[in-house]
Amino acid sequence: MIPVNVVTGFLGSGKTTLLREILRSAEFSDTAVIVNEFGEVGLDHVLLEEVEEGVLLLESGCICCTIRSDLKETIRNLHDKAARGDMPKFSRVVIETTGLADPAPIVSTIAADPIIRNHYRVANVICTVDAQNGRHTIESQPEAKKQISIADRLLVTKADLVDDECIAELKGTLHRLNPLAPIGTSCGTGFDADFLFGEDIGDEKRREAEVRRWLESAQALERSEHSHGHHHEHDLHDDHATNSFVLRYAHPIDWTAFGIWLTALLHAHGENILRVKGILNVAESSTPVILHGVQHVVHPPLHLERWPDEDRTSRIVFITRGISEKKIRRSLDAFLGMAERMRRESAVA
Amino acid sequence: MCGLCGLLGTVHWTETSAHPQAFTGATRRTIRAERLHRSELVNRALAAARLKLTDFQATSYIVRSPTGRQEIVGDLQSVWGAVDRLRGKPIDPLDDAWIDEIEKSAP
Repeated sequence: MIPVNVVTGFLGSGKTTLLREILRSAEFSDTAVIVNEFGEVGLDHVLLEEVEEGVLLLESGCICCTIRSDLKETIRNLHDKAARGDMPKFSRVVIETTGLADPAPIVSTIAADPIIRNHYRVANVICTVDAQNGRHTIESQPEAKKQISIADRLLVTKADLVDDECIAELKGTLHRLNPLAPIGTSCGTGFDADFLFGEDIGDEKRREAEVRRWLESAQALERSEHSHGHHHEHDLHDDHATNSFVLRYAHPIDWTAFGIWLTALLHAHGENILRVKGILNVAESSTPVILHGVQHVVHPPLHLERWPDEDRTSRIVFITRGISEKKIRRSLDAFLGMAERMRRESAVA
Repeated sequence: MCGLCGLLGTVHWTETSAHPQAFTGATRRTIRAERLHRSELVNRALAAARLKLTDFQATSYIVRSPTGRQEIVGDLQSVWGAVDRLRGKPIDPLDDAWIDEIEKSAP
């Protein structure tokens, strides 16, 4: 399976600088890059054209809405060309979104197309945030907030232009919006490609380390909930407030009931379930099952050879928009409780 | 394909048979048993709405209303759209009234 990375971030946040630097390294020499022209001048294209052979420029508009079918066709064309030998074979695809794009539909385009999903998998979504203007952008642009909330890796760029205090404040804001994503910093050169692209839950060799990282973030989130009394929920009168929390289940859960519940939840509220990530102890498997999703898209469940720690409880982290932990917990408890009652009834019978 | 029941099943993240690498050990259900279990759970959850789900040859699901209207859908995610259409209003697992019904659901 060829990994597909999405590089997102608001206008001027340094996406192209990141790509230009990364693509210079030998490790990324066989990377196909899909960029998106936005507006009159395809600036991104001009910059990337010199770096990478085989750059495709999407015809028009914004990746998130008008040309999803273009994106599908672009990936299929890339695949066909490489298979026919019309272009060199590639081992990774990077899609650079426009500054205003919602990256979620890109993820769903890759996950939904039956041909694409047989050959490609969604890898890390990387979001760049400008150290100078980041906080203002987050406050004023809901698109930026969403890009940050669904990312797997956050990169604060132009860190040399502000002081340490400013960086720390911005990191705090980013962490509140997405407590699961590790945050890196850069000054325009020397990007840590392995941190951004390499450490990926879809890569079997790196999976355990990545799950450990999730669990550490989940633990930190739980500690913060305890010490601040669920402070994230104070903003819940605001429909757009981002809310993060962890649900734990000590006993093995019924995967079928969980699937019924999550599909129903995503059907009704997928727009506002920005991320779900979890390690599950399910009755249907003797090894832990890894689950992760972005809005309406749930990726295929993944296998983990062993539990990363002594704890055998299922831990599911949610990042939602305006939906409280209390509501989610009550609902999931009801569905899992129903399955448990059914199991007991059939055991008695 | 399931060696026991000879069914192909479908590829959806909820189907354990489609992800044998993720669901290991002897506790995984056969395709038929899993889809039957799923239908029973959904039917229990939808009892108050008087809608019924049945598996069709491990390739689709049929959602039926009490008036005899029915829809055939490809996977569990699509079941909920059919439920909305057949009951004439959206279903919401965060709706307290529905959760109350599920909490007291009897066989």
